[in-house]
Amino acid sequence: MAGLDIPTKGSVKLLGSNITLMNEDQRAQIRAKDVGFVFQSFHLMPRLSALDNVMLPLEIAGDPDAIEKSQIALDQVGLSSRAKNFATQLSGGEKQRVAIARAIVNKPKILFADEPTGNLDQKSSNAVTDLLFSINELINTTLVLVTHDLLLAEKCKDLYELSDGSLL
Amino acid sequence: MIKGFRYALNKFWSEALSGDLLILSLSIVLAVTSISSVSFLGDRLQTSMKLQASSILGADLVLRSASAIDPNYLELGVANNLDTAETITFLSMIITDEDNLLTSIKTTSESYPLKGELIIADFDGSLIQNSGSPPSGSVWIEPKIAETLSINNLSEISIGNKTFKVVGIIKDFPDRNSSFVGFYPIAIVNINDVSDMGVIQTGSRVIYRNMFSGSKRNLDNFVNDIGEMPADIRLQQADDVGDELGEALRESVTFFNLASLFTVIISVISAMMAVRRYASRNLLHASLMKVFGASKLFILGHQIMQLLLIIIFATLFGLLCGYALQSLIISALQGILTNELPAPSFKPVILGFITSIFVVLATASPYLKILSQTEPIRILRNDFSINISNNLIIYLVALVTMFIFLGILFQDIKLLSYILLVLIFVTAALFAIGKTLIYLLGSIKFSSGIGWKIGLKNIVNRGNESILQIIIFGLSLLFLIVLAETRTDLIDSWSETLEEDTPNYFLFNIQEYDLVNVTSYLLETANFSPSYTPLIRGRLLSAKRAGSDEFSSENLMEREANLTWQESLPKSNKISKGEWWNEESLEAEVSIDAEVADSMNLEIGDELLFSAGGSKFSATVTSFREIEWESFSPNFFFILSPSAGQKLPNSYITSIKISEQSDIMNLFTQRFPTITAVDLAAVIQQIRNTVSSASLAVQYIFLLTLIAGILALVASVFSNRDQRTKETAIMHAIGANRLIIFQSAAAEFFILGILSGFTAIIFAIVLSSIIFSQFLDLQYSPNLLILGLSFAIGVIFIFISGILSIRKTIYTSPIITLRDS
Repeated sequence: MAGLDIPTKGSVKLLGSNITLMNEDQRAQIRAKDVGFVFQSFHLMPRLSALDNVMLPLEIAGDPDAIEKSQIALDQVGLSSRAKNFATQLSGGEKQRVAIARAIVNKPKILFADEPTGNLDQKSSNAVTDLLFSINELINTTLVLVTHDLLLAEKCKDLYELSDGSLL
Repeated sequence: MIKGFRYALNKFWSEALSGDLLILSLSIVLAVTSISSVSFLGDRLQTSMKLQASSILGADLVLRSASAIDPNYLELGVANNLDTAETITFLSMIITDEDNLLTSIKTTSESYPLKGELIIADFDGSLIQNSGSPPSGSVWIEPKIAETLSINNLSEISIGNKTFKVVGIIKDFPDRNSSFVGFYPIAIVNINDVSDMGVIQTGSRVIYRNMFSGSKRNLDNFVNDIGEMPADIRLQQADDVGDELGEALRESVTFFNLASLFTVIISVISAMMAVRRYASRNLLHASLMKVFGASKLFILGHQIMQLLLIIIFATLFGLLCGYALQSLIISALQGILTNELPAPSFKPVILGFITSIFVVLATASPYLKILSQTEPIRILRNDFSINISNNLIIYLVALVTMFIFLGILFQDIKLLSYILLVLIFVTAALFAIGKTLIYLLGSIKFSSGIGWKIGLKNIVNRGNESILQIIIFGLSLLFLIVLAETRTDLIDSWSETLEEDTPNYFLFNIQEYDLVNVTSYLLETANFSPSYTPLIRGRLLSAKRAGSDEFSSENLMEREANLTWQESLPKSNKISKGEWWNEESLEAEVSIDAEVADSMNLEIGDELLFSAGGSKFSATVTSFREIEWESFSPNFFFILSPSAGQKLPNSYITSIKISEQSDIMNLFTQRFPTITAVDLAAVIQQIRNTVSSASLAVQYIFLLTLIAGILALVASVFSNRDQRTKETAIMHAIGANRLIIFQSAAAEFFILGILSGFTAIIFAIVLSSIIFSQFLDLQYSPNLLILGLSFAIGVIFIFISGILSIRKTIYTSPIITLRDS
């Protein structure tokens, strides 16, 4: 759905465009402009600071206001004080909050979150869940959340269940 | 791509300081340091050698003949914009009212010398002139003449029919070896006085020299214009006398080249390892960029700019280190280099940049494609591995690129071919050993300690990864061992040239009737028993090819030949062609120095016609010899068989060792005034300096290769550290205690070290023997101490650095390690 891979059968339309017919660079363009990602294992760059990690999508897009926008995003996830810290110096919960800031920094129309609380303890998990949903409202975006956590799933408006590769 | 460039520029320092790029940068720094220091050094040494060689000749080019040289050559020189000068040298008596002395008279023109320094002082020692010739009717003399003939300032002396006023003392002059070397003191007079002296007559021993200096291009044009020359004129250029600068210096330059070649190869190996780790870590970064919308070109731009910045910074740093190292070596070589060194050229800087570009091209370029084409889905799959089969192509590309580069750089295809062959064989051997090991370990049922069992299993499980590590360890050790052996044997062979009992005096002109007295005097005063060598003053007139009837003097320089006769081959000589004669042989035979034979185009079986003691005689060439001149024993270009030489009138020559402090020699010269004693102390000291300077310089450059070798081993140990760390954490998590983890790592690195060390030693013996025999002209016998020590240190180093690389994981909670990874 997010255009990270292409289907072996059928087609995928993302924001009105058939991404199955696009090449990798064209799909990358769509992701850069309209899509945000949050991953289970955070995937922050260990040798970059929290701020640099958040800036990554904007720098790829060549946005001249990358620093300011990234600071705002960090502020929105409550981590502006940790901007200069390297990813390795952050706790699990903090890492995921930086990842959320990175996902929303380009104001995506759609935000994909793959098991966003899968690697977190209960307390951090609750905090990240609350943050995700409040951000979702704040920036008025579509949140697509993939999870095994039924409590988390029930917080969503629409629920779809996948089992053995089929939609139930 | 521009956006990628900009991104790389912004993020360079944070990425560079993270450590991933550190080993790659250090590899480049070492390769550049090595190449540039040797290039800075070679550049300056070569210019300095040329200067020295020119000053030995007194010019850049000299035409030398025993008969008057056509003046057209001098005009041709002027026409080619060359500076010219002329000297005529001959032997004559200097006569005063009381005494006389056989002297080498050097007559010079106004512009003499063209290169090197002529230093003339007055009798008080103050400098009065440093070029040209004395005014007509005046003479400059060497101190020895003043002492022997008790000459004062403005004394009058006669040479032939002309009277001269002594106006200066010769302190130094450049073309010392152009006269009748060593035997006679020198006096310099104006060339216009030659005819007034009237000493040059038919049959006189005279050396005519026309000297030329100028730009290389003008000199080349001049040589071209000369065309064919009469056989009696010999052309000498500065390049021809390079040999006189000493074997040690030339051998150390060979060593520098060898060491720098090895350093580059080792640096490429460590760069290869570093880039591999860097690329696999960067795969996450590149994939993440793809997820956030980066195009292929963006990632390519990012990588290219990052590598470019590394090239620039590492090269500049490497150049600085190279210059510093070169200065250190030059300061060590100060004893050898007497000339002021010219400033280094810009060439090493360009070479430094080319080196780093090639190292990066050879090692990093294949990864650019892999990184730019990475799929974003890797992020969801958590898959950041690079396929090993890709690596094989990458290493092949690295090897080919490296050898093309080294071929261009060193232009020594022979050396490179040997190294490439050894490299291929050793890689194949290490691969086979690795495979066999994995097979054997895989089929053995382990019964002993669990830690060791896990370690050995790990080697099997890692498969190709383990083989690669064995190859890298083995290659790095191989080059280090070969260089350590070369260094030690070179320094040893240099020190052997000057043993404790090296003679420090030559005694000439000992007559038969003096022999008993001289021997008993030396036995009494210095407890030294000299052995005498006959010295026959003769001339080589012509040569006849075997089977031909005609004697010809073509190719033969008119040659004052100091001859001797010997029953057996002197100790410091080695037969290079032909055979030494039987002591009882009745044939008239002659043995010649191989280089002289080569320059005169002589062959075994040729017949040479000599004149000595007023008669002519011929002898057949039966052997060529290589002479070890540094032995300081009396050595001769021509040695006659007893039947040819025994009957000729001769004096004797000997070399003796006398304590420097004693006044035995002063008393000796008073007791035997007709015997000439030449003090070799200064020459011996010069050679001692050469040896110790060259040894020190060799140590410096060896140290650089050693650092490169250590870096390669570290890079190799760290190349799969991430995987090891993860495995260690998992073992830790499932209950393995620290001892077991330590034992497993120890077993793994110990086995890898032993195998690679063992293979490295076997191939080091092969490569060393090739290098010794083909490039250094030294006898090779494996140095067991170095081989044993290298093996032990190599294994211990791999073992310790391996353990250190996972040390942190052993003491950290596994959950933290697993989370971080």
